[in-house]
Amino acid sequence: MSTKPGRRVVWGHLLLLTVIVGVVIAYLLDARGVSTRVNNLLLVQPAAILALILAALVLPGLFPQRGSAEEDELPKETPADLMRIFALIGALAFLAFSLETIGFDIATFIFMVVALAICGERRWWVNLLFSALFTVFLIYGYGTITPFPFPLTIL
Amino acid sequence: MIELNAVSGAFALLSSDINAWLYLLPGLVIGLVFGAMPGISITMAMAFALPATLYMDFLPAIIFLTAIYTGAGFGGSVPAVLMGIPGTSSAVATTFDGYPMARKGEHNQALGVALASSVFGCLVSYLLLFFLIAPVSSVVLKLGPLEMFAVAVWGMLLLGSLAGRHMSRGLLAGVFGVLLGTIGMNTAGFIRGTMGVPWLLDGIPQIPAMMGLLAASQLIGLINTTYLIEDEGSRKISFSKILSGLKTAFVYPTIILRGSVIGVVIGAIPGVGSSISNLLSYSETKRNAPDGDTFGQGNPKGVIAAESANSSSEGGAMATMLALGIPGGGATAILLAAFAMHNIVGGPSFIANNKDIVYALIFSNFAQAILLLFVGLGFVYVASYVVRVPLRFLIPSVLVVSTFGAYAIEGSASGPITLWIFSVLGWAMVRYGYPVAAAVVGLLLGSLLEGNLLRTNQISGGDFISYGLERPWALLIFALMIGSIIMQALSKRKKLKQAAENSESRSASEAS
Repeated sequence: MSTKPGRRVVWGHLLLLTVIVGVVIAYLLDARGVSTRVNNLLLVQPAAILALILAALVLPGLFPQRGSAEEDELPKETPADLMRIFALIGALAFLAFSLETIGFDIATFIFMVVALAICGERRWWVNLLFSALFTVFLIYGYGTITPFPFPLTIL
Repeated sequence: MIELNAVSGAFALLSSDINAWLYLLPGLVIGLVFGAMPGISITMAMAFALPATLYMDFLPAIIFLTAIYTGAGFGGSVPAVLMGIPGTSSAVATTFDGYPMARKGEHNQALGVALASSVFGCLVSYLLLFFLIAPVSSVVLKLGPLEMFAVAVWGMLLLGSLAGRHMSRGLLAGVFGVLLGTIGMNTAGFIRGTMGVPWLLDGIPQIPAMMGLLAASQLIGLINTTYLIEDEGSRKISFSKILSGLKTAFVYPTIILRGSVIGVVIGAIPGVGSSISNLLSYSETKRNAPDGDTFGQGNPKGVIAAESANSSSEGGAMATMLALGIPGGGATAILLAAFAMHNIVGGPSFIANNKDIVYALIFSNFAQAILLLFVGLGFVYVASYVVRVPLRFLIPSVLVVSTFGAYAIEGSASGPITLWIFSVLGWAMVRYGYPVAAAVVGLLLGSLLEGNLLRTNQISGGDFISYGLERPWALLIFALMIGSIIMQALSKRKKLKQAAENSESRSASEAS
């Protein structure tokens, strides 16, 4: 009977590698669909093939042996830590996609309130006050440095 | 060696434009403040400030960014000394002796030593650049498209293989970046990978993507970081003791000079930069010092070695970026993006046709280094407050500022959306050991690589081998490239094997 410790699957890394490989394959197929002439594929095709070979070389790292040095290297956040990161990513997505529709002022204020709460600010009055002041300061301050017409709703 | 016409042109440029000087002080202060905040790197500070340069002229914009670069170099040493936490990765070796000095009550001297070494290192690196830029430009002008392609690939491979622990991941990050950099219409008129999105015709918006990969992604990763701060609140700042620290640095000219030279050479190699040069200079100084056994216990020589090397890396990295148009890391990638924002292409032709601008940048950096001496002295008084800015306020605030910047640069939601996508990608890459700097440089160099390869194809009529055999420099670069990659692979393999053995012996001792 083997006494070797088993291997684990690093699901997050597997997802990242799947995304990279997926993007590379989709791009290669799209480029080949446009034209198979040398001037189109001279760099893209060999680079895509190289990326796929490198991805295959990375693959064993996704299944490290338990207790190995590679497993020690893996991030060690708790599920709660990860949830905070995903919540912040979600809040940033809201900001990026809503800026033009609800206005920079409202989107910024909502993002600041939510993100401050995610980052650990528990005093609600500090949160609201800082978010409001920061939004006003940023809209007028940034507008002075960068005279770009940001769509606004209230300010 | 020095082109006097260009030098006088540089003086004319600097003396006729007040804007060239106007952004020097704000740049240094921004660099110092951001560099002093634990977790915020030099690259992040520059990435956040990049959109603000959109409405500046070219020279003031680059001076502003290099001032941030210079300021953040010293800023990183402040928390390294006061808290034992490197503000930036370039200040890791500063903690080895800076923090023990602070614990002995010599924090003022340590800060003085760090400031003097930073200023001197920066001056030396730009002095070398001043003398070498003209001969280097005449050499790089002889490089054809095949040589440029070879140099760009070599730089990328070095960056991918040296950064991070796993070579395959570094190389994959670089190649993936190159592929993303070729999305859109190429120089031959083919449109690929746009998925029908009109704003991708010009390629992925580079600056928001860089801000996402280099800055926002790191901020997301910082959310669960807490820094343990000990009894630093009671540390009093004494001007006279800082001045004595400044003098101490010059008692050891050999260490400063050695550190500066190591910094310049290492800084010029893509993928290495200041985060390695400070460690290398520290270990070299420790090896050569008669009192090497006192290193790590508060020996000022350790601080001098680390700080002179990390600040002089800037000049080395600038040399590669200016001469070849190839960024060696995140900071120079941002500078190159700023070039592109002003419709200027970095590289051999820029350096040959705009020597006056290059000399103006060098002179401005002399001024920055000298100004840093005074601004740094003043900054030390407020530094203990800056290093304590709570991350819970900093993270959302800086994320919003970068989103605004991304919008201002692209003029539509494409900027913030790109920033978001690449910040998530960057966070995941950092989490699993992929060097994001390699992906960023790939993204920037993708179109350059493809353009040079297409030109080589046209010149050679498709016969790459016969054409390549006529280009000995290209063959030499390819040979060096293959040699260095094999060396790197062997060295990484040895390190991983050693780590595995250490881990096995540790688990065996735990079991017994």
